[in-house]
Amino acid sequence: MEEVFVFFLHGLAYAGLLFLVSSGLTLVFGMMDVLNFAHASFYMLGAYFSYMVLSMTGHLWLSMLICPVMLFVIGALVERFLLRKVHSGGHVHELLLTFGLAYILGESVKWIWGNYPLSITIGGFLSESINLFGVTYPVYRLFVLLSSICVGIAMALILYKTRLGIIIRAAVNDRTMVNALGINVPLVFMGVFGFGAALSGLGGVIAGPFLTTSPSMADDILITAFVVIVVGGMGSLLGTVVASLLIGELQSFGVLLFPKFSMALIFLLMAVVLIVKPSGLFGVEQS
Amino acid sequence: MTKRNTFTAVAWVFCFLGAASLPFLTSRYQISLLTEIIIFALYGVTYNLLLGYGGMLSFGHAMFFGIGAYTAGILLTSVTGTPFWAIVVCAFIITALAGFLVGSLLLKVKGTPFALLTLAFNSLFFAIAFKWYAVTGGDDGLSIQRPNIDLGFWTLDTSNVSTFYYITLIVLSASILACWYFTRTAMGQTVLLMRENENRMQFIGYNTAVSRLILFTFTACFAGLAGAFYTLHFRFVSVDAISVGMTTTVLLLTFIGGTGHFAGPLIGSAFYIYLQDYLSEYTDRWPFFMGLIFIVMVMYAPGGVSGIIVSGGKWLQERFRSPKREIEGT
Repeated sequence: MEEVFVFFLHGLAYAGLLFLVSSGLTLVFGMMDVLNFAHASFYMLGAYFSYMVLSMTGHLWLSMLICPVMLFVIGALVERFLLRKVHSGGHVHELLLTFGLAYILGESVKWIWGNYPLSITIGGFLSESINLFGVTYPVYRLFVLLSSICVGIAMALILYKTRLGIIIRAAVNDRTMVNALGINVPLVFMGVFGFGAALSGLGGVIAGPFLTTSPSMADDILITAFVVIVVGGMGSLLGTVVASLLIGELQSFGVLLFPKFSMALIFLLMAVVLIVKPSGLFGVEQS
Repeated sequence: MTKRNTFTAVAWVFCFLGAASLPFLTSRYQISLLTEIIIFALYGVTYNLLLGYGGMLSFGHAMFFGIGAYTAGILLTSVTGTPFWAIVVCAFIITALAGFLVGSLLLKVKGTPFALLTLAFNSLFFAIAFKWYAVTGGDDGLSIQRPNIDLGFWTLDTSNVSTFYYITLIVLSASILACWYFTRTAMGQTVLLMRENENRMQFIGYNTAVSRLILFTFTACFAGLAGAFYTLHFRFVSVDAISVGMTTTVLLLTFIGGTGHFAGPLIGSAFYIYLQDYLSEYTDRWPFFMGLIFIVMVMYAPGGVSGIIVSGGKWLQERFRSPKREIEGT
């Protein structure tokens, strides 16, 4: 029973991390409909930037502030000078452009930091373990979960309770009309893309001490994040939360129950969901 | 046959003859590269049938390439004395079955869900190949020996680089020709029309789901054939052959060549493999420069190399014809 509880917590922590990465992808891919294969590269950059900040200052909260801002700037620049120019070419062009970008970022990271895993250690309370309902559990994993909950609530508030959120949702719905109403839609999209990159970067900062920081970390999470978006339904924040939890737990218990097929399980889930309901669990059915 | 078709046919024959005479002119290493180019050319042509002709963006084409590759690898390691042709035929049939099965599950989905669902199936097959160590060798892969071809009166020694090059050239050129012929049939035209306006096709009375399934299965089995030759060429097959990276490769080389023209992937394959070979000689970080080239191409030459050639040809035509017209006009 204790083991099940521990694996359940593992699943929750992993789901939290998945949510951080895929919530950015929900904005970029689910809402703006940009197939961004470089999304996980932003996550990787976040982890590496955090490594730099941590080795200079040693404060995790500082890198949680600085790195997303850096990623926001990078993301906004990518949207402004690269993606915007190929948007008219449709998905294939965006896909190829971001593929190229993912190659470049991945190789740059290998160039600068070397092609091997780096270990990030943090001291203090976060590196300890606490007693939780009879089991000892590392604090950091709970911290991952807590941060993702905070991000989720913040995103929901911004998207559904503020004027900015209304503008974003309207711009996604009918770009031309919102533009005609006097709102600078290209600027909004640049901001949203940057924000998506920042969220992914924040995921990287948080993943750093939790998983290993290596050039392959982008590939490890990219496909899973896409699976989350597709299972949850394009552009649905609630769907992303539910799908993150589902896939986090599936991954965790998959390792416990069928270690050989844990990898296949999530793709099986995705295939089943898409065949039964092509728009995803919480997606809006499109004709 | 119209004049233009005759010209195209003659150009193809010259290309083939040129390719056939190359082993006399270049080194063993170059021949080996050429073999690889032909294999990836067929793989790219099948992908272009999906993407360029059918307008279907698939992220899972590597599953068929990989199934073909593993069929060859598994037959050669676990069944002793499998003849060369049996491998090729088995790879073809098994990938056709896989293509039909996967395709029939994908009948209704289009666009982004289609792309992601193919990705899911690809990842599923990847996971199977990765974990089923007893059969596929998992991460270690399978090493094989190419079987010789016994023609009855003469045995072809396939360990000879040139011999294998010729076998690849003949079999895969015939396959590429079959793909080209497919685009000329009524079925091929249906695919083109479906890309342009599927609702209208359905209205006229075509069952577009069946057409899509046929196209999907057709491209799958030829991709499997390319995969089988991939294993035979490298004498090795590993999870790389069925990975998402292999889909990326075909997507990139098809795009470099240009999706707007049948010959695009042929050019793209040559361009991609030579570029990779050239860059990897100078730096370990060759994907960096590859990435840079893709970005520049997507932004400034979205028609690919064949697009550049076509528009260059038009530009030349305009340049040489326009003075004449002016004279006629005055």
